Amino acid sequence: MAAERAGASATASATLTVDHLSHWFIDQQSGSTVHALDDINLAIQPGEFVTVVGPSGCGKTTLLKILAGFIKPNSGEAKVKGKAITKPGPDRGVVFQELAILPWRNVYRNISHGLEIQKVPKADRDRRVAELIELVGLSGFEKHHPHQLSGGMRQRVAVARTWASNPEIILMDEPFAAVDAMTRQTLQEELNRISVETGKTVFFITHSVEEAVFLGDRVIAMSARPGRVKEAVVVPIPRAERTWQSMSTDPAMAQCVDEVLGLVRGEHEASLVAEGSALEES
Amino acid sequence: MTALAPVGARQTIWDRVKVVLVPAIPFLLILAVWASVRTIYDHPISVLPRIIDVIEVPFREERYWSNVRASIWRLVLGFTVAATTGIFVGLIAGLSRRVAQTLNPLVTAMNAISGIAWIPLAIAWLGVGTSMVVFIIWNAAFFLIFGNTMLGVRLTPQILEESLLTLGANRWDVIRQVVFPGALPYIMSGLRAGLGFGWRAVIAAELVGATSGLGQWIFEQQEFARADNIVAGALTIGVIGLLMDRVLLAPLERRTIERWGLVESSA
Amino acid sequence: MESLDLGRLTENMLAQHRRSERNEKIFGIFRALGPFVGLIALWWGVHAIFDPSPTKLVAPDKVVDAFFESVGEGVLPAYILQSLQRLGFGVIIGVVVGIPVGWLLGLDKEIAKAAEPTLRFFNAVSGIAWLPLLVTWFGFTERTISSIIIYTMIFPVVFNTMVGVRTVPPVLRDAARSMGASWPRIIKDVYVPGSFPSVMTGLRLGIGFGWRALIAGEFVVGGGGLGFFIFDARTAGVIERVMLGMIVLGVLWLMIDRLILRPVEEYTATKWGMVRQ
Repeated sequence: MAAERAGASATASATLTVDHLSHWFIDQQSGSTVHALDDINLAIQPGEFVTVVGPSGCGKTTLLKILAGFIKPNSGEAKVKGKAITKPGPDRGVVFQELAILPWRNVYRNISHGLEIQKVPKADRDRRVAELIELVGLSGFEKHHPHQLSGGMRQRVAVARTWASNPEIILMDEPFAAVDAMTRQTLQEELNRISVETGKTVFFITHSVEEAVFLGDRVIAMSARPGRVKEAVVVPIPRAERTWQSMSTDPAMAQCVDEVLGLVRGEHEASLVAEGSALEES
Repeated sequence: MTALAPVGARQTIWDRVKVVLVPAIPFLLILAVWASVRTIYDHPISVLPRIIDVIEVPFREERYWSNVRASIWRLVLGFTVAATTGIFVGLIAGLSRRVAQTLNPLVTAMNAISGIAWIPLAIAWLGVGTSMVVFIIWNAAFFLIFGNTMLGVRLTPQILEESLLTLGANRWDVIRQVVFPGALPYIMSGLRAGLGFGWRAVIAAELVGATSGLGQWIFEQQEFARADNIVAGALTIGVIGLLMDRVLLAPLERRTIERWGLVESSA
Repeated sequence: MESLDLGRLTENMLAQHRRSERNEKIFGIFRALGPFVGLIALWWGVHAIFDPSPTKLVAPDKVVDAFFESVGEGVLPAYILQSLQRLGFGVIIGVVVGIPVGWLLGLDKEIAKAAEPTLRFFNAVSGIAWLPLLVTWFGFTERTISSIIIYTMIFPVVFNTMVGVRTVPPVLRDAARSMGASWPRIIKDVYVPGSFPSVMTGLRLGIGFGWRALIAGEFVVGGGGLGFFIFDARTAGVIERVMLGMIVLGVLWLMIDRLILRPVEEYTATKWGMVRQ
C-alpha cells in the first residue's frame, strides 16, 4: 500500500508519465502485426536523466517517438505534465539518431532554427546561439556547413539546436551511435555537464550499457520484443560527480554496469532466438 | 495486461485496387477536359478531334500500321548496330586509361551536337530515306552507349581484373568475366538513354526527311489537317517509347544488375 | 662536415613540384585538344583523298571561312541570339510554372504517386511529336516554337522537383515539427531548400531536351535561329555552313552545360550532399 501511495505521488509530480502503454504496428514488407510495446509504465521526474537500454527491436525508438508525439499509442497514454501528448512540440526537444540538421544551413543558422520558428528577436537569438556554441565547444565553426564537419561535430550541432529553444524535456535517440569511440566519450562527458548545469529532464536511448550507466540517474532495461520495462536500476554516484575515469575506478559504478549488463544480456539472447526462428519461418 | 491488436490491420483488396486506379486519375482528368472542351466548342477534326476519332485511327488507317512498323524497324536496326559497336568499342577503349582519357572529350563533343542536328548533314550524305534515319539513330545512340561503357570499364575496380589475372586467366577471359559484368550498370544506363534518344531521333529524322514512318506520317497528316491522325500518332510515339523502356530494358536491368546487387531498383 | 641546407632543399622541391604541376596542366590541355586535332586531320585527309562534291563534304578551312563570313554578315550572331532567346523564354516559364507545380505535387505522397505515370508518359511523347499538331493549331509561327520548348521543358522540371520534395529525408521534417514549426514553415524551411539539387537536375535535363526540341522546331518552322541556319544552308547546298552550324550548336551547348548548369548542380550536391546517406 505504501509503495502504491509512493508511486502515486511520484506520478503526480512527474514531468513525463507513461501509463499502461501498448503499441502495435504493421510491418510494411511482410504485412504481419508487430507487437512493439507491452504495458509500459514510467514516471520521469523533472530534472531526471533517464537512460533506456535494450536489445534491437525492443521498441525503445517507438517509445521515444510516442513521447515525442510522432506516434499515437494504440492503448494506454503518454502524458507530459499531466496533459496527453498528441503531437510534437517545442516543449519536448528531440535529438535524432540520423542526421537531422539541415545540410544547407551553416552551424549558426541550424542552431538558431528553433528560435527562428519561435520568432525570438534577432539580438536574443544571437546571444543564445553564441552561448550554445560555446557550451558544445564549436567556437570558430559558426559559418561552417555540415558537410564540412566531422560526425561528432554534427551531432554537437544537433544537440545545441535542441538545447537552444530551451525545452524542458529532451528526448535523445542513440545520438552518439555513429560517432567514433574517442569523440563519443567527450560528447558524453559534455552532455553530462550540460544536463547537470541546465537541469533538463532527459530521456536517452542507447545500445551501450556503459553509456547508459554513465549518463543516467536511472537506467531502464527493456525486454526483447514485445518491449516491457524489465527493471529500473538506480545509479549510485550522482551525475555531477561522474567522470569516465570513475567508471573504471569506482567499484559502485562497475557493479552497476554489471547489473544492467546481466539484465540486458538475457534479453539479447532471447531476441536472437526470436529473430532466428523468424528467419527460419520466412 | 496485453490489449488486442487493432482491427483491419492487414492490407486489403481495396489497397491493391488503389495502386492501379490512382495513377490513372490524371489521365482520366485529361480525357474529361478534352471531352468537355469538345462538347462546348465542337471543333472540326482539323483542330480538336473527338476522343473516339483518335481511338479509331489504328483500326481505320492501314497506313498507320505500316508506318509504325517502318519506324520500329529502323529503330531496331540503328539501335542494334549502335549497341553492339558502342559496347564493343567502349570495352576496348575503356581498358586503357590513356585511350579513355583521350577519347572522352570527343564523346562529350559528339553528345553535345545532338543527333537531331546531324539530320541536314545526313540528308546531304545519304539522301532522304531509311539509310539516313538509321544513321541518325545510330549517331544518337552510339556515343551515349560508347561513353557510358567506357566509363563503366574505367570505374570497375582494377583489383577485380588483377585478381582474375593472378588466377591464370587471359585478357579475353578477364574482359568477359570481370570487366563486362562490372561495367554492366553503366552499360545498361547507356542503353536506356541511348534507346530513348534513339527513338526521339527516329521521329525527328522522319519528320524532316523520310518517305515513310510515324514521324513522316504525322507531318504529312498536318498538311491534310487531320488532327485525329496527328494526335493518334503522337500518342503512339509516347506509348512505344514507354513500352520499350518498361517492357524491354527495365526487366533486363532487373534480371541482371539488380539481381547481382549492383544497383537498387529504379522506380 | 657537410650540413644539409634543409631550407634550400625544400625550396627546390617546391619549385620542382610547381613546375611539374604547370607542365601537367599544359600537357593536359594538349591532351584534351589532341583528339580534336586528330579528328580535323582525319577530316582533311578524307576530303583530300575522296574529293567529294562540295554539296557533300567540304574541307575544314572552308568551314572556318564560313564562320568569319557569317559573323561578318551578322547572320550567325543574330541567329544564335534568337535561339538563345527562345530557349531563355522556355527556361523562365519552366522555372516559374514548373517548379511550384512540382513542389505542390511532391508534398503529398499519394498525389505524387498518382501524378508520376502521367508525367512519365508525356515526357516520353517528345515535343517533336506534337510539332505537327501545334503547326495545325498555330501555323508556322513563333508560338509553335515557344509551345514546343515549354512543353518539352516542363515535364522534366516538374518531375524532378516532385522527386526532390519526396526524397527529402523525413527526419528533417520531424525535426522541424519537434521545434514547433507550422506546415507552411516546414515547406519553406525544409522542403523547398531540400529539393533544390533535384530541381537543378530537372532544369538541366529540361534545358537539354528543350534545346533539342528548339533546333527541331527551327528546322520545321524556320523564322530564324540556329536550327534554321543549318536547315536552310543544306537546302541551298552550302555544306560549310551546315557543318559550321553543327559545330556552333555543340560548342554552345557545352558552354551552357559545363559552365553554368553542371557547376550549379555540383555545388548544390556537395552542400546538400549529406542528405543522401
